[in-house]
Amino acid sequence: MEKSPETTPKKHPWFWSSAVASILLRLVLIIYFPNTLNFSSRPEVSTPITSLRRLAEGYWLKRSSMSPYAGSMYHGSPLLLSIIGPLTVDRSEGQSQLLCCLAFVIADLITAILIRSIGQLLQGADIQSLKSLGAGRFSKISESFPSGDIASLVYLWNPLTIITCLGYSTSPIENLMIVLSLYGACKRLVPLAAFGWVMASHLSLYPVILIIPLVLLIGSGLDTPPRKLFLQLTDGNDYKKTTNGSLHLTNFSWRRVVLFLLWASAWAFYVLVLCGISIKEYSSLGEMFKRTYGFILSVEDLFPNIGVLWYFFAEVFDFFRDFFLIVFHINILFMVLPLAIRLHHRPCFLAFVYIAISSILKSYPSVGDSALYLGLLGLFVNALADMQFSFFLFSGYLGTLLLSPVMHNLWIWRGTGNANFYFATAMAYACFQIILVVESVSSMLNHDRALKKLGNTTVAKKVQ
Amino acid sequence: MHLVADHRRSSMATTSEKVEETPKHRPIVRIGLFIIANTLLVSVVCCIAGVLALLLLPVLAKKTYVSENALLPGSASPMISDQDVSRANGFIDELTSMKLNSQNVVIEIPRRIALHMENLGGEVSYHRFQTQSNKYHPLHFVTTPNAEACNVNKTCESYAVNVVGIIRAPRGDGKEAIVLVTPYNPVNLTQNEALSLGIAYSTFSLLSQVSWLAKDIIWLAADSQYGQYNSVAAWLREYHTPSVDGFDKLPSGSCVHDSELDMSIETKVSDTFRRAGTMAAAFVIEVADRGVEGEQDALNIYAEASNGQMPNLDLISVLCYMAVYEQGLPVQVEKLVSLLDSKWLKFIGEVFETVGNIARKLNPQWKFGIPVKEYVEGSATLVTSLYHQALGVPTGSHGAFRDYQVDAITIEFPLKLSSINRGRQTEFLLEGGRLIEGVVRCVNNLLEKFHQSFFLYLLTSSNKFISVGVYMIAFLLLLAPLPVLAASLCSDAKKSIRESEKISKPFKSWSWLHPTKTIFIVHLWGVIVSLLPYFICQIPNSQPASRLLIWASLSLFILIVLILFFGGCSTHWALLKSVTVSTTFIGLCLMSIINFATAEIGALLLVPLCLMIKPWRLAGKAHSAFNLVLVVIGFPGAAFFVLKSAFGLQNGSGLVEFWYWMESLWAWNSATYIYICMVHLPCWVLCVYILLHPC
Repeated sequence: MEKSPETTPKKHPWFWSSAVASILLRLVLIIYFPNTLNFSSRPEVSTPITSLRRLAEGYWLKRSSMSPYAGSMYHGSPLLLSIIGPLTVDRSEGQSQLLCCLAFVIADLITAILIRSIGQLLQGADIQSLKSLGAGRFSKISESFPSGDIASLVYLWNPLTIITCLGYSTSPIENLMIVLSLYGACKRLVPLAAFGWVMASHLSLYPVILIIPLVLLIGSGLDTPPRKLFLQLTDGNDYKKTTNGSLHLTNFSWRRVVLFLLWASAWAFYVLVLCGISIKEYSSLGEMFKRTYGFILSVEDLFPNIGVLWYFFAEVFDFFRDFFLIVFHINILFMVLPLAIRLHHRPCFLAFVYIAISSILKSYPSVGDSALYLGLLGLFVNALADMQFSFFLFSGYLGTLLLSPVMHNLWIWRGTGNANFYFATAMAYACFQIILVVESVSSMLNHDRALKKLGNTTVAKKVQ
Repeated sequence: MHLVADHRRSSMATTSEKVEETPKHRPIVRIGLFIIANTLLVSVVCCIAGVLALLLLPVLAKKTYVSENALLPGSASPMISDQDVSRANGFIDELTSMKLNSQNVVIEIPRRIALHMENLGGEVSYHRFQTQSNKYHPLHFVTTPNAEACNVNKTCESYAVNVVGIIRAPRGDGKEAIVLVTPYNPVNLTQNEALSLGIAYSTFSLLSQVSWLAKDIIWLAADSQYGQYNSVAAWLREYHTPSVDGFDKLPSGSCVHDSELDMSIETKVSDTFRRAGTMAAAFVIEVADRGVEGEQDALNIYAEASNGQMPNLDLISVLCYMAVYEQGLPVQVEKLVSLLDSKWLKFIGEVFETVGNIARKLNPQWKFGIPVKEYVEGSATLVTSLYHQALGVPTGSHGAFRDYQVDAITIEFPLKLSSINRGRQTEFLLEGGRLIEGVVRCVNNLLEKFHQSFFLYLLTSSNKFISVGVYMIAFLLLLAPLPVLAASLCSDAKKSIRESEKISKPFKSWSWLHPTKTIFIVHLWGVIVSLLPYFICQIPNSQPASRLLIWASLSLFILIVLILFFGGCSTHWALLKSVTVSTTFIGLCLMSIINFATAEIGALLLVPLCLMIKPWRLAGKAHSAFNLVLVVIGFPGAAFFVLKSAFGLQNGSGLVEFWYWMESLWAWNSATYIYICMVHLPCWVLCVYILLHPC
């Protein structure tokens, strides 16, 4: 986990001062080093989907009455073009970049605040369910660490988030939409959740798979220990807290889910209409689908990035291309169902796992996606207290992220390395991400097992 | 009542957890645990193996070979004729006589060179430039070369003129070019420089007539009165980044030289900057005076560019092939003379030779071991090569080409100037011209840019090399104990925490976060230290020694302030050491990719320090004393002086020399500077911190 030392606050006032400090750091970097750091040209930061330079190009094309998708430059949403596009116009010296960066800083801040409130909701639910299970030890831990504060500070102080924010990439907005949908689902604000989900899927397609955790969240509520434990407790008769425990056995509310789906389709329709209006004079919705989702799915751009797909599709023979495209995209879908079955009682954690997996396997990944799931990881800091290899993972992330620009320099600028050098770091990075996902899931399952054991002993005692 | 029940329940839970905790790990984790359990053995074995492998490198060196088939070295016979050489002789005479007679040599000599180029049928142009003083700018390391703005005051001082002649290839499409560079000083033209100009002239004269040329030939007569690297770099910058609005142009008429030069040239020498295609290769031609009798008459080659980058090995092997087999000229790479009669190196060589002999007796197939003399010479060359690469400062003006991905090399012809006469000079020009012609012809055959052979290698002689796959083994063996040690310390610390505090504390797997804070602060301090010279250089009228002292005291002050404000938390020393060791490992690994030689030298200093360091209260007396010695040697300044005196390179007084050394490092944008400030120094400080840890 990428963590700055400032991220372990004990008291709440810490949070605001630390958050403001991180925002100030961003502003200082934006104002005083606008061009010297040059993060926007890094392949790790800006991808063909998220690059602001491409967006400016698309906006220029649109203003000169051409299709923004002409010439395979822009591949994002037409809505972003209408919202952020005007900010990219160079009114005076360097001011446009400043405005865009400010927009991204605000997006980051809102994301962090939303993560914090998600964390508070989760913590509350966690403490309540643990108490009802009688797991005093665990609930004490839960109370002592404000996971929401930790998570949002991890998100704000994560160097990856800061780099993404300074790198003129639109991923802060994508992240905001994803977090917004999670927040809406946690609060059971169905329209908000639907809006977030539709916008996130519209912007980067992969959040589509988040529908499962969102439906689970809306239908059955926040993360709880497995339902079997509560059932055990109710079986052990005349125990005091059974009434409390039964609170969590609320049935899956189909009504809300249907409402969510209705809202989602309404929002989707609305977004499509808006898109249609905004590009009606220059191109069509069909072209938009082809140039955005088609571009994502068919991996047309083989420019190197920190993912693993570009190298493979640069090498693969043309007539196998379609087959391997299907194989690689199925990879993500393959894991959706088993994980949903295993982790259905913890929908927020499930969402984290989905986001992490899709950011490993997506066609144009950037460090902005990693920043999001590393921030979300902080939400489960209490359950993952005994996670193995945390130090190993930290060193690995640090090493590979520093190695990546060095290898890129060796390949592109010095000319003494080749593509394999850079791809090696991309593979190492993917490996570390996979280890992170595997370890976090297994420690979450271990946590559940520990709770179960605890439940068994209490039940046994009661029987005695 | 409830409380008691709660307590009993939790205690039961902990006992049941303890039973559960007997690990059932995956095989790969079990292998890791096994290695961690035997840390001491692994560290000792790996370190010894690493040092041994480093000493073995000259033995493991392979013969170079021409990997690119298109080069076809030696397939054509040399065409250079007596006519070319006699014209070159005339050219040299003219230049030397001009030096004696003419008043304004600074203008006359470039003009004369331009005239001769023009007469040979080349397109000639002048390149006026101003030398940029190398000033430290902290962001030079981050930004791309194009981004640096050259806002120097345009004055008539430090202004020079390069003469550029281009032959358009009759068979080419003008998209590729080969560059010949002859640095000369018009203010004081020495005979060496006149001869190197003569060699280039004879080759140029031939190449203007031949029909096989497929790449344009650029002859750059570089005005080296303000340093030859600067002139070549200025020309390359202009070549690759054309100034559209003429901003970089000198204000016309403002300089006396400028207008005079224009007036005095009657031929159609163009003032516009002329270009040929992308450069395939570049050769810097120099002539060295071997005044001492009896010294070997061998061609010297220099290849190290900035940050230890080397040209493609094919370029060197082609040159060596042409020189040795076609011209009969032996080629040598620079080597440290003081090492040639070092006793311990000879002893090691003898050991390796006897081992090799024994191996051959056992099985004649095993070809291991080389003669002692060869070993000593190979090691001396290797040490020099490592030294130049580690400095990160190019060894000649060929270094400027590497920044634009052009393979370049300096060829230094030997000559005894004391015994030179007309006949010897003609012979010399013929020899040099033939060699250059042959190499140019080889490169002319190339279809693609050099890519077949190695870029990452070390030379042990002109025809032996060690590839990256071999020397990386030595380095990684040396480095391997670090992650193992870090892991074992981390797990030990966790265990000790668990034992010391009876209640199983949560977040024990995250306990490394506390020392990380200290380490982050020390590395932040490293960044600040590396930026300080930028401000110190702005202090006017300060002596190098006082600047150095200001730097040191400011750094120390900032360190103390930072530690007092942030780093006050007391952590377990083992955890601190574990995180230190792993950050050092990451830093060294990164550096080995940027500049191998620096990383290797740094690893030799840091790895023993990291492995041995222990708080003095816990360690024995002998151990502490040894640690103290390691700490003293590990300090960058001390290491600098120890190495200097070990190789007998002492000159100048200590502090001043050290300041100038650092200044040269940042002036050349050497990554070694970054390494010293951001990896080596923080690691050293942390080691001192651990040594003084109160436990």
